[in-house]
Amino acid sequence: MSARWVELIGGPFRASWRAALGWSVAFVLLIVSTMAFWPAFRGSSGITTAIDQLPAPLLTAFGLEGFGTPAGYLRGGLYELVMPLCFAAAGVLFANSATASEEDSGRLELFVSQPVSRAAFFTGRAIAVFAWLGVLTMVALAVQLASDEVFAVPIDAGRVAATVVLCGLLGAFLAGLGLAVARFVARPQMVLSAGFGIAYTSYLILALFPLSSLLAPWREIAPWGWALGGDPLVNGGDAWRYVLLGVPAVLLAAVGVLAFERRDIRSA
Amino acid sequence: MDATEGHRSEPLTDGPAIRIEGLVKDYGLVHAVRGIDLEVRRGEVFGFLGPNGAGKTTTIRCLLDLLRPTAGRLEVLGLDPRRDALALRGRVAYMPGELRLPERMTGAGLVAAIGRLRGGLDAKRRDDLAARLDLDLTRRLRDLSSGNRRKVALLLAFLADAELLILDEPTNGLDPLMQREFLTLVREARQRGTTIFLSSHVLSEVQRAADRVAVLRQGRVLALGDVEELRRRARQRVEVWFAGPPPLGELAGLSGLVDQHVEDHRFSAVLAGSIEPLLALLAHQRVVSMLVEEPDLEEAFLDLYEAAS
Repeated sequence: MSARWVELIGGPFRASWRAALGWSVAFVLLIVSTMAFWPAFRGSSGITTAIDQLPAPLLTAFGLEGFGTPAGYLRGGLYELVMPLCFAAAGVLFANSATASEEDSGRLELFVSQPVSRAAFFTGRAIAVFAWLGVLTMVALAVQLASDEVFAVPIDAGRVAATVVLCGLLGAFLAGLGLAVARFVARPQMVLSAGFGIAYTSYLILALFPLSSLLAPWREIAPWGWALGGDPLVNGGDAWRYVLLGVPAVLLAAVGVLAFERRDIRSA
Repeated sequence: MDATEGHRSEPLTDGPAIRIEGLVKDYGLVHAVRGIDLEVRRGEVFGFLGPNGAGKTTTIRCLLDLLRPTAGRLEVLGLDPRRDALALRGRVAYMPGELRLPERMTGAGLVAAIGRLRGGLDAKRRDDLAARLDLDLTRRLRDLSSGNRRKVALLLAFLADAELLILDEPTNGLDPLMQREFLTLVREARQRGTTIFLSSHVLSEVQRAADRVAVLRQGRVLALGDVEELRRRARQRVEVWFAGPPPLGELAGLSGLVDQHVEDHRFSAVLAGSIEPLLALLAHQRVVSMLVEEPDLEEAFLDLYEAAS
């Protein structure tokens, strides 16, 4: 790899290490603190009975079905909302800070005026964003598997891995969307609102559509549903779900390059 | 893929370093540049003067392909800034006027990063420039004063050993000693054959550094020419002490002599244009003393603005 590419990828990668460390610590705390309560739920039929008595639509909406089982506990405690939301937020924020936020503040000008193409410049940034999401996915997976072992959660490691990777891909999809938006308009608020808007809407679709017999068949129409609609903790991850999240993530990041080639660079 | 994919072989031409023809840049309804035509010769120091909002930075950003012109034709070192952007940026060094540097990096880290993007740097020259600019490169950029951050940007510009240096308001925030050092660096670069495009609203700086200047106002070139020529066009204050009463009738008949005042044997006025008719008239008078103030670029600049207003 040439020194230029080392800088094009390594520069934005280094610039995000503090944020990545923060997310890693947050993942460790979330996973470990949630899993630490598993032994209490495992032995308590009262709690699970009480949860099972909630209305069925509520159980569905909040992913609390089968809360007394290992898969149900992991889903309700972490992988229905908290972890995918964290990955979605990390993806959008990494994409924003590497592109729109940098350009909006005027910090890109000095770098873009160097002898590198705009496409190469932003490809390096996209790779750095996806690389950090990959690292965070690995951290979450390692901590989850270790916690399963420590707190004696009897669940298939392959299904846990599928769930964590699909959460990571959800983050990558939203990062790709953020990169695409940033290349059309260098406005951080646009990147953030597009990313979080899609994340929030697609979560609501997955959580609330099943409450209506008319809408239920469409519950997996949005990215959150592509990632977790198949209940990967129980059923494992279908190959098409990885493709449906991963390929558009890369395509969205790539499509925006064309727009970026054509537009003005914002200054401070 | 190489980051510099598309790098063209360098067309070596003897044409101007910069050629701008009919440059227009609009931001929606705002007309930032309204039709600029100028040429910068190779090897010269070219001053680009004008107040804030005159269109200096917009023009520069078009030259660097950071902005896409609404209309007009640009040529830099014989290349098209858009089509040949990569080849061009390798031969040009740019110092932005609005400096926004990555705050968490150290000066050395930033220099190394830019060096990697430019395909290498001369470490000895970096240290030499840092010493001359009295700059501590080990400190984080956020801990540096605005003047020291500007020194970092100056170091980056002069370290690049480019054919063309484009400097946008380079001495903002620099102390007088560093301004002097900057002028020395400009002279040294010029001696090496570097073309320097110096945008500034500090007239004294341009007056000392530039061979030629263009004066901008509201996106148009008001004047373009040698610094000396521009100075000659400036108004000069003239004072003459006569042995007797001043010949007011004859003085009043001279064109270009305005704002006349008489106090005993002392006559003062502002001279716009050639001084020769006045000297011819005084040759036939008994003159005790005479003072002609040296016009500077600032007066020329203000004159142009007053005239345009």
